[in-house]
Amino acid sequence: MTGRNGRGTRRLAALVGLSTVAVLALSACGSEGSGNSGGNGKTLTVDTSFVIKGLDPGTVYEGTGNMIVHALYDTLVTFNGSDISKPQPDLASSYTSSPDGKTFTFTLRSDAKFADGSSVTSADVVFSLNRLKNLKGSAAAIVGGLSFSAPDAHTVVVTSDTVNPDVPIILAEPYAGILNQKLAEQHGGEDGTDAAKTDSLGTYLNTHAIGSGPYQISSFDAASQVVLTANPKYWGSKPAYGRVVVSNMDVQNQKLTMAKSPSDTIALDLAGNALSGLPASLHQSGSPDTYYQLRIHADPAISPVTSNHDWVQALQASLDYQGIAALFGKSGAPASGMVPTAYAGALPASEAQHQDLAKAKSLLAASGVGNQTVKLLYPAITYVGVDLGTIAAKVQSDAAKAGIKIQLDPAPIASFLDQRDTGKVPFSFSPQSLDYPAAASIVADVLPGGHTASAAGWTAERADPATVAAGKAVLTATSADEQVTALQKWQRLMITNAPYITLCYSAGTAVASADLSGATYTAAGWTVNLAGVSSS
Amino acid sequence: MTATQPPAAGLIPAAEPPAADGPGPAATTRPSRTLLRFVGKKILITAALLFGVTILTFLLVQAVPGDPANTNLSETAQQNPEIVAAYRAKWGLDRPLPMQYLTYLNNLIHGNLGTSQSTGDSVLADLKKYVPATLELAIPAMILSLLISVGLGLWAAVRKDRAADHTIRGAALVGLSTPSFWLAIVVLYVFFYLLGVAPNGGRLSTQLTPPRQVTGMYTIDALLQGRPIAFRDALWHLMLPVLVLTALTVSILIRFVRSAMLEVLDQDYIKAAYAKGLPRWTVLRRHVLRAGLVQVVTVAGLAFASLLSGTVLIEQIYSWPGIGQYAYRAALNLDLPAIMGVGLFVALVYTVVNLLIDILYGIIDPRIRVS
Repeated sequence: MTGRNGRGTRRLAALVGLSTVAVLALSACGSEGSGNSGGNGKTLTVDTSFVIKGLDPGTVYEGTGNMIVHALYDTLVTFNGSDISKPQPDLASSYTSSPDGKTFTFTLRSDAKFADGSSVTSADVVFSLNRLKNLKGSAAAIVGGLSFSAPDAHTVVVTSDTVNPDVPIILAEPYAGILNQKLAEQHGGEDGTDAAKTDSLGTYLNTHAIGSGPYQISSFDAASQVVLTANPKYWGSKPAYGRVVVSNMDVQNQKLTMAKSPSDTIALDLAGNALSGLPASLHQSGSPDTYYQLRIHADPAISPVTSNHDWVQALQASLDYQGIAALFGKSGAPASGMVPTAYAGALPASEAQHQDLAKAKSLLAASGVGNQTVKLLYPAITYVGVDLGTIAAKVQSDAAKAGIKIQLDPAPIASFLDQRDTGKVPFSFSPQSLDYPAAASIVADVLPGGHTASAAGWTAERADPATVAAGKAVLTATSADEQVTALQKWQRLMITNAPYITLCYSAGTAVASADLSGATYTAAGWTVNLAGVSSS
Repeated sequence: MTATQPPAAGLIPAAEPPAADGPGPAATTRPSRTLLRFVGKKILITAALLFGVTILTFLLVQAVPGDPANTNLSETAQQNPEIVAAYRAKWGLDRPLPMQYLTYLNNLIHGNLGTSQSTGDSVLADLKKYVPATLELAIPAMILSLLISVGLGLWAAVRKDRAADHTIRGAALVGLSTPSFWLAIVVLYVFFYLLGVAPNGGRLSTQLTPPRQVTGMYTIDALLQGRPIAFRDALWHLMLPVLVLTALTVSILIRFVRSAMLEVLDQDYIKAAYAKGLPRWTVLRRHVLRAGLVQVVTVAGLAFASLLSGTVLIEQIYSWPGIGQYAYRAALNLDLPAIMGVGLFVALVYTVVNLLIDILYGIIDPRIRVS
């Protein structure tokens, strides 16, 4: 038995020895080609906690997906850097709008080419935008009222059902990326009214970019990383990095990584307290583009407490807006109105709300319902680096100082959405962001008749007519300037007359290594323009 | 008597496992039929189990509050009935629940696990991608855990109530009490941030391109394709998650090993082996370890199945795209096909591991094989 075991041991030792020799031999085979041989040299690493399902412009709406799709597909117009005040030419060299704010004519540039070398034509644009509309993905809700036509090979006309001076902004977003029609149709792309059923292009686009953007897809994995390589036939300025690796990384890990002052690296999820203690040499940029809002049901049948105007005003006066914003560290700011300061139409910081406990107590006494407890429903998640439970607890504690009784009711995100969708939740809290960088996009939804207003029981009968009229003035403004003025007037009325309390704004943030330039956060919708990042 | 001499048969009591020389003439006449019956029974049980898992998972997902359309569409799109209807039609959610289930079963029989709503890929393709990543963590973690826990557990048993025993038991208790995510973060902080000897997560450095998928395990695929740099890099990236998983698994196993070994050490045949002058190492290796391992195998098997089923927090912290992360994302998105795919995989893992445990019993203890 011992002899047999001895032979076994010797055989095992021999096997281990052979394996070791094999490994060493392989190690001695010389170096292998790394992926770092992109046309323009180095690799840019972007660390972010992935929110991505695919790379089809027709269905993309998640943060990570938007950033990558923006690098793969050009749009008619775009925004440069972090400036989102006015769309700039991209595939379209110029555009004009009709005086009624309903028709927009885009003239395409003649030198724009797809990655296969073919020219970008108006037919490609119309195909892509019709496909976007008819696929009935998330962005279809935004372009639903638009129709597209191509009078000639270099002109695209976009017509809106309603007055909408923000059409160019809508068409600057990643979902409006232009596909090569010929390639799209070869791989199952459809733009007809039944495209939601017949189109089968989506999965193909996860591994093949058929746009005219500065990058192409090298590999895609929704769980770990997406690798982009520079488009050798890009018609515009070549990107500085030949290869970009977007890696899925936990926030704690991102912080440790950036704390070591790496090179060629960007982290996108460091916010709130996670920004403290980082080396001063890193570049930090951000823009307050998210608002945190309490929604209070206005229907007495749902809650006699939350439908009581004095109770709502008491709650509004009881909150410490500056303290709530402080929970986000330097990326937070107390709310002035509903529109975050990243966007045109926001109220100035000087109009930020303040706590007034004496007023709150007085209003609560007048309400006659101050002794009743109300449940505050919120999603039990961490958002932009802050646990929403912390904010809800702060609201509860501030309100308690005025005698308002709130019971916290955290729920998993799916359950939260489901409950709130019923329109029967008396009191809830959630972060909100805009679909596209134009503040007017939130107005219709929160005015009586809109989905959010309906879910809050805020009907035309319960609403203040002046507030509703101010909202309608925003929606019928035919120019951007007119819209900004109307937005500010509307927000001031909403503060006292609507069943929403905006608590604070928080900024999305990009932290870039010291050697990078152009890695600035933008509220445009794609976080960072990867093609605009360069190494100094 | 020398260490190489076998113990005298007369001194070995009936309780000791007999030498593994085969089950004897009576048993050899029917082994194939018995084995076939055994395997057939196992396959039938597995099929029934997997069927049960599909029903249970399907019902559980339906019972969870939440609409997949709400979790997978933007808030604005959720307000548009036409878009919600298109989403529900695309994913078959507009059909009655029994129809949805029967369609799923029909597809399953044809080897189609459906399409994931989170990734847009087939669930089978997703599993082929993410399971090897988890395997690459689980296998070395399990091997290391077994080696360490058997060694230390045996040592603790032999040195019962002495300093070594107390130290090992104390360490195991600390390991058991330590939250896995905390340990993972601390290990990352120390080895990546402070010492700079480990990477910050992922399966491969971003400068390298992953090896072409053969097994899906980067280390093996890199070796097969003659890419030593990728092999070393993949190995380097395995270091921290494997270390953490090993530490956690050792903490669980070590107490079982110690208690199993103590039980065997107390047997008369062990005392007899010592009495006849066999060296301690020979007694431990040949008699104690072998008899004690039967109990250890069950716990080790379950620990291995647990590792294979995915370790969400570890995978999350080390950016490891394994089955745990896939399951987590599927649950968040109410991605029914992916949830059911993971459920089936986990059920299959436990069934296969249990089968392997049964086989291992027979190898370790021939009495079980005979019976």
